[in-house]
Amino acid sequence: MLELEKKIEHLRKDLDYITDIKGEIFGERLTEIRNWLSEIAKKIYELPRERAETALNDIEAQIEFFEQEAEKYLEPLDYVRIARHPYRMTLKDILENVYDDYTELGGEEKCNIDPAMVVARATISRRVGSRVYTHQVMVIGHEKGHGEEFRNGGSAKPWGNEKALRFMRVAETEGIPIHTYIFTPGAYPIEDPPGAAQQIARNLYAMARLKVPIIAVISEGGSGGAEAIGLADLRLMFSHGYYSVISPEGAAAIEGKIKEGQDLPPELVKSCAEQLKITASENLKLGTIDRIIQEPPLGAKGDDFEFFNQLKHEMIKATDEVVLKVRGLSVLRGYYVKKKTGEKNNAVYVRWELDEKEISKLLKQRAEKYENMGRGFFADRRSFLKKRVDEVCYGWLKIKSLLYFGIFKRPYRWVKRFVDDLRGEFLIITDRVLRPFTNLKGAIEKKFKRPTVQLAYEVPPKEDTYLGEIYVSPLANEDRTISCPNALRYGCYDIWVPDLYGELNGVCPNCGHHFPLEYQWYMNHLFDKHSIKEFNTEIASINPLGYQGFDEKLKEAVRKTKRHSALITFDARVRGISLVVVMLYSDFRNGTVGAAEGEKFILACKRAKVLRRPLLAYVHGTAGIRIHEGTIGVVQMPKCTVAVREYIEAGGLYIVVYDNNSYAGPVASFLGCAPYQFAIRSSRVGFAGPRVIRETTGEDVPPDYHSAENALKRGHIQGIWDRRDFRKNLYMALITMGGKNLYYR
Amino acid sequence: MPKILIANRGEIAIRIMQACKELGLDYIAVYTKEDEASLHVRRAIEERGKESVFRISSYLDPNEFLEVADYTKCDAIHPGYGFLTENYRFARRLAIRKRPLIFIGPRWEVLREFGSKINTKCIAKRLGIPVVPGSDKPIYNEIEAENIALELFHRQWEEGIKRPAILVKASMGSGGMGIEEVTHPIELRRVYRRLRQYVKRQFGDEDVLLERKFPVFNHIEVQLVCSQHGEAVHFGTRNCTIQSVFRQKRIEVAPAFNHNYKYQFDPEEVTKRAIQYSLKMADYVGYDSVGTWEWIVTPEGQLYLLEVNPRIQVESGVSGSITKIRHLPVGVDLVKEQIRIALGEKLGYKQKHISFHGASIEFRLVAEDTKCGFKPWGGTITKFQLPKYDWLKVYTHVPSDRPYSIPSDYDPNLALAIVWGRDIEEAKERGEKFLNEIKIEGKNQEASIVTNIEFLKEKLKKIQMFE
Amino acid sequence: MENIGEIIKKYKANPFEVYPVLTPHTGYVHLMVKLGQTVKRPIDPWQQKGGTLLYTILRQGNLKRIYAPIDGEIMDIKRELDEQFVEANTYLMSIRHPLTEDEIIDKILSDFLDIFRAPEAAKYYFVPELAKKIEERGLQKVIIQPGEEILIMSRMKRDIHLVYEGKPGIIHTVYFRPNVTIPEGEPLLGICPPERVSFINDLVQRIRLEWKV
Repeated sequence: MLELEKKIEHLRKDLDYITDIKGEIFGERLTEIRNWLSEIAKKIYELPRERAETALNDIEAQIEFFEQEAEKYLEPLDYVRIARHPYRMTLKDILENVYDDYTELGGEEKCNIDPAMVVARATISRRVGSRVYTHQVMVIGHEKGHGEEFRNGGSAKPWGNEKALRFMRVAETEGIPIHTYIFTPGAYPIEDPPGAAQQIARNLYAMARLKVPIIAVISEGGSGGAEAIGLADLRLMFSHGYYSVISPEGAAAIEGKIKEGQDLPPELVKSCAEQLKITASENLKLGTIDRIIQEPPLGAKGDDFEFFNQLKHEMIKATDEVVLKVRGLSVLRGYYVKKKTGEKNNAVYVRWELDEKEISKLLKQRAEKYENMGRGFFADRRSFLKKRVDEVCYGWLKIKSLLYFGIFKRPYRWVKRFVDDLRGEFLIITDRVLRPFTNLKGAIEKKFKRPTVQLAYEVPPKEDTYLGEIYVSPLANEDRTISCPNALRYGCYDIWVPDLYGELNGVCPNCGHHFPLEYQWYMNHLFDKHSIKEFNTEIASINPLGYQGFDEKLKEAVRKTKRHSALITFDARVRGISLVVVMLYSDFRNGTVGAAEGEKFILACKRAKVLRRPLLAYVHGTAGIRIHEGTIGVVQMPKCTVAVREYIEAGGLYIVVYDNNSYAGPVASFLGCAPYQFAIRSSRVGFAGPRVIRETTGEDVPPDYHSAENALKRGHIQGIWDRRDFRKNLYMALITMGGKNLYYR
Repeated sequence: MPKILIANRGEIAIRIMQACKELGLDYIAVYTKEDEASLHVRRAIEERGKESVFRISSYLDPNEFLEVADYTKCDAIHPGYGFLTENYRFARRLAIRKRPLIFIGPRWEVLREFGSKINTKCIAKRLGIPVVPGSDKPIYNEIEAENIALELFHRQWEEGIKRPAILVKASMGSGGMGIEEVTHPIELRRVYRRLRQYVKRQFGDEDVLLERKFPVFNHIEVQLVCSQHGEAVHFGTRNCTIQSVFRQKRIEVAPAFNHNYKYQFDPEEVTKRAIQYSLKMADYVGYDSVGTWEWIVTPEGQLYLLEVNPRIQVESGVSGSITKIRHLPVGVDLVKEQIRIALGEKLGYKQKHISFHGASIEFRLVAEDTKCGFKPWGGTITKFQLPKYDWLKVYTHVPSDRPYSIPSDYDPNLALAIVWGRDIEEAKERGEKFLNEIKIEGKNQEASIVTNIEFLKEKLKKIQMFE
Repeated sequence: MENIGEIIKKYKANPFEVYPVLTPHTGYVHLMVKLGQTVKRPIDPWQQKGGTLLYTILRQGNLKRIYAPIDGEIMDIKRELDEQFVEANTYLMSIRHPLTEDEIIDKILSDFLDIFRAPEAAKYYFVPELAKKIEERGLQKVIIQPGEEILIMSRMKRDIHLVYEGKPGIIHTVYFRPNVTIPEGEPLLGICPPERVSFINDLVQRIRLEWKV
């Protein structure tokens, strides 16, 4: 009897599930079955066992039929529903059923720094012939739980992601592969240290060169939160999951300009879900994932044991694939693994440990993989001839810098190093000999040593005192006053607009509040005169997903800005030091990052690397990843981060300066990963805006939550720069900071 | 008839009203809540009626003046002294706004040149004019400041000065504000830091300069009057050595030196040189208003430029009262001249038409405790009577017919008195007589009124001397 | 302690306070409320949003919106000033504000705290060190000691540092606002010795209880 009751319970759950996911297409039919089931449940003790059993089997068959029926009509939004359903499999189910044995690390259940992020040291085994081989892996992933509150729906807090990173490093030390499972609607958007955006950026930066194979599987891939553990050598996706730049509801709210608290129109949400191209098959087409793992109809639930078995083989196969790709002796096995797709019994054995050579090959392949991701989703408006010319020019630059830095400068450096060391040794000796005399001299001299300052009257150099007359912001052409937002606190008087945007450089003379200025101001004031040379201007943003109405918006942006993307890349000089600059500016689609911007960014990184110049990312404003490019936008995060990592590893200096508003994806990746980040006063840096925070966490944040001061307090940035001192500070930063291979070192 | 907005308070507002009246100009006056009882408000209401007087929130907010000026359709703004007088942005805004207004003062470009003491020193240096030894560039950090200070101390030690000292000054400071003394290098950092903090709050600019302090010196000034048509004349010199510890002038004497005294130098020659230098500099920058060049004279007769005050000064009256143009009676109102010039008139006289007669002393009557570090006194004045003579001119905003409580936002100045005599000795006698005849009573919760009358009497004996 | 009941009764009989609304500066005023209208102050904890718009004032092309600083009812509104040029500190209207429990507690407490009064009419600021401490630890966690410089009195363009000379204690309440001239003798700080904190808390409890009755 107990068995039957269990079965009834099971069927009821299945019924609930199907109602939740796709109930509307069956209408009354589901109710009928439900009534039938409850009737049997009521009479379970009266009915003869056989009759009950057959009835239940009938119902089961019926439900299965429904499931298959529903599967045919699944729409993008339904995948979202599936991925979010409490009955869906969770990481815990996978750990129980796919892996033989596991030990959770960094907390258990509620006793956890972040129960939404689970890390476990697990073993996975395969049978080859009669032998059983056991592999050790590090499993990292989000745990949604089956509706438990404390899991926070798999939305990892910053310290959860930090935990993930910590154990990735453990895996790196131990040399075991990492399997990550992405079950997150997005990262928890709070700034408490280590900070949502900053931590994701750190994770990406670390994963870009983590010396072990990483396999990622996506069930619910919510933008930045997903990328925090998603930069993998092989990215798989469950067939019933979704992977998106933003939740369809979020997209709808932005697209429809829905005010806070108002209801979202369901049609709009549905159309957004369709337009964003979030399903597994669409993502495969876009190349943002490598393979799909087929799930049973309507997705795998917590008790689909057969599916877990399949998943186990998929995971082993995927890891094998990654390892074999970098292994020298692997021809046969490589062929076999590739050929036997869907084979249940893996007949090959692959050792998962890598040696030094294999690791460097792995990292190289990883970098290439991400560099090529999202290619072909931007337009190159150069003519054929121009392209060739540019190619030749770039080639020549490469040769030139190789000649100069590699062949000409290297011996010079060796000699210099040797001489330096020699001098150091010599100093010890001379110091020893001369010490008694210097001591004596010091004792005789007066208490206050006369400094060697010349009090000559010179006219101060014009160059750096007043640059304001070169370029005056068009904002200044208005005869009116404006209030400083801090007027109540600091008693600032209203400021006359021509003064404010002219001579005062947009800074309140009383309290130092910075009013926003257009990006052209910076281009004119920050760099040496006539030193700016833009490149790659012809790389243009397009509408890769065919998002409805986006073409017009893009055209409008091009018309307004006379540019083709939200990122400007150029060579420039600051007091004689040449550098490569990337500038995200907010006039073009709010400074959002898409495929074109990502490509321009990595090209700039490469250029800086070749020319051995410092790379400055000045963020005049960015609202995040461009949602209209869907996951193509999202993969710009790992893509650019990998490029940054390559550049820094090559000995470059990467400095990021935030201004105005910098939020979301870019901050959580290629900007946030910079070792040196600064902010202009009165700017805001963060992961998600106040509204998103309010909607996700249910709590209001103070108005200065994202302010540069608070970012500094939390350790996200290294300093706050006054706009008027920007040039000076930048020069000082270039001179004093990092980068072993810079040309001027 | 041009209409002038008087953007100031107290006795200068009254002096401007007087000048306007004599020139036949219309004016608008303003006041703040604290100044409701001031005489300048009463006088304006009596002369022009209630609708010509406006209450504003602050004398420092340019928008208030402009809004009132626009509302009343004024043609010009007289900033007086202090407040926005030397704010070149204000002057520039008047000049380039949609409805331009005349700024009664020099061109804004000139104001900008002289706004920073550092820049003033640079111009002087370019023209070969001696300036006080010290820093000549903005100082960015404490180490740099300390090095310069040490250098200045060393020089003084080398000269054998027993108690060397240097001054830390705000580049934008004026009227004695933002200056502190350092007598030992150890103190420097603390003073430097404090001053920067103070300066940033008061002037919104952090530039600070260091200068050597002279233990004994005389502070003299050259009064220039230049027109927009390239004319430039001087109105002689003044001696303003008697100051409070906060370097606010208390007694001014014209002319600068007494020919009966023995000096180590030839006073005639030194004043001539100061005048020459001043005119040279005024010519160089194209000065076009009333202005003062301040100089330091050491007992040996060394001359150093201190700063330039591109405005009408409190003490302009003292020079005016010994000056005679052509055959007119002695006494020229420089405020009137300033307004005339700003409205574009020519001077109408040349240097050779100007002659000086007698000597004049100005006293600034202030409610302050001269024995306790010139601490300002606040409270209510119950009785205030000043003597009346034909050799005496008094400007005050303190009413004598009703109690007056001193506003706390401004300096507790009570009156400005100018005494004239045929020679310096007579002026001194008359000055003493005037000081003795002042009747003033007042009290606050703790004590009755404290004024600087005794201080003035004591210092009167020592004017024009080096000690 | 005994007469608390009476004091509370007094407040209960007339639990209102009248706030005059004055213009901050000159300009053209546009009134946005009517006589008898109830107005609300900003609701969010940072007092930034949701207040009732009382009036706008236009000066030199800058339109400022002035919101109600406090809850209450509009009375005595000067309609004749609507759309007119006004001077600074012109009286526009009053807000009749029903006192809340916390405000009454504040008012009554001022009799039981050691009040640090303004020695002279001036503007007051915390000294930077103390301001920093308060920002870091919160107001009621900072103990001030006698002999410590606590406030800067800015008067007649001079800064004078004020030294605290009472018993050591925590700053319970701050009565002054920066950049506003405080008349002589007005309370600046309410200071409470650490050992009296519990007494003050009891007092607060008692007022709360009695107020509800």
